Amino acid sequence: MSQDIATIRVTRYRPEKDGKPYFQDYKVPYRKDMVVLDALNYIKANLDGTLTYRWSCRMGVCGSCGANVDGVPKLTCASFLHEFKGRTIKVEPLTHFPVIKDLVVNMDDFMHKLVEIKPWIIREKESLPEEGEYRQSAEELERYDQFSSCINCMLCYSACPVYGLNEKFLGPAATALAYRYIEDSRDEGKDVRFPIVHELEGVWECTLVGECSVVCPKGVDPMLAIQKTKILGATNALKSLLMPRGGK
Amino acid sequence: MSKQKPFPEYRRKLGPGWWLHNSHFTQYMIREWTSFFVAVFSLIYIYELSLFASGAKDSALALMRNPGIIAFNVLALLFTLYHAFTWFYLIGKVQPIKMGKTTSKPWQALLVNIVLLLIIFYAVIQILVLR
Repeated sequence: MSQDIATIRVTRYRPEKDGKPYFQDYKVPYRKDMVVLDALNYIKANLDGTLTYRWSCRMGVCGSCGANVDGVPKLTCASFLHEFKGRTIKVEPLTHFPVIKDLVVNMDDFMHKLVEIKPWIIREKESLPEEGEYRQSAEELERYDQFSSCINCMLCYSACPVYGLNEKFLGPAATALAYRYIEDSRDEGKDVRFPIVHELEGVWECTLVGECSVVCPKGVDPMLAIQKTKILGATNALKSLLMPRGGK
Repeated sequence: MSKQKPFPEYRRKLGPGWWLHNSHFTQYMIREWTSFFVAVFSLIYIYELSLFASGAKDSALALMRNPGIIAFNVLALLFTLYHAFTWFYLIGKVQPIKMGKTTSKPWQALLVNIVLLLIIFYAVIQILVLR
């Protein structure tokens, strides 16, 4: 039985040698159940041990293996080779991030943004464990549930031209996560997060391109989170204007 | 211990044609361009009004009948409708309405808004033109 061969065109960048990135082609034999990440692992194991890329779980959970596959930000572990049959598959590092080596990008900016929005439950006063858990109804959970599925893969940042033009923009995933906590009935940190998401380069920088929600591999809708955060901010501003004493 | 100098990272910038490689980006950019046509239309409209206000009614009418202005108005209308329809669709995406166990779809918001727009058009024409 003849085996199909895929041509993988990978971005190579070796900062100690190369002034700028270039493409290198590899021929990889594949089966129907193989994904782009399998092809990269095949190259690393059999053809070129110097190829560098991130990966971990191989099942769309860790969010490490994101790359631009055929020009679209995707998890390489979820992109099947047979879907590109007959075409050269171009694998490039995620756009808008500085390239450290080959497919590895610098994630520092995203990591700072994640920490900035304080992705944990903030309580004015923590209750003791013996007092029991913070209870929540199914309806309350539904308000933020989808936004808690984010795996921080940064595909949404790679798809966002606003972030590409202005890296100060808080961006899709960080805002979606901020909204996840703002909408969590157990959280009391709205006043802490609001100034962060509503600052100049916060949600108001978003011009509704919407590609962040298209590329999300976990079905999270960051565009929705950003617009909902805008509505919450505008409503709050209006309320404080009309009722300066909080309506008391 | 001496600190090793880090190797340079490669930074890429968005080129001027970034919106040509993805149909979603192209549609988005066309929506952004609509503002240009609306702005130019508004300027022409204000100028026509100023002609009317200063008593130069014939000049204003001649300008309105100018084939170039008419062609531009048609173009501006097409862009404005494109903006309106894509925006109506986006309203459905960013503000879905929960109805019992189901949630409204973007095309439903598009449809409702188009119907509302037609009603407003009809009312304005009835009140201002055909009264």
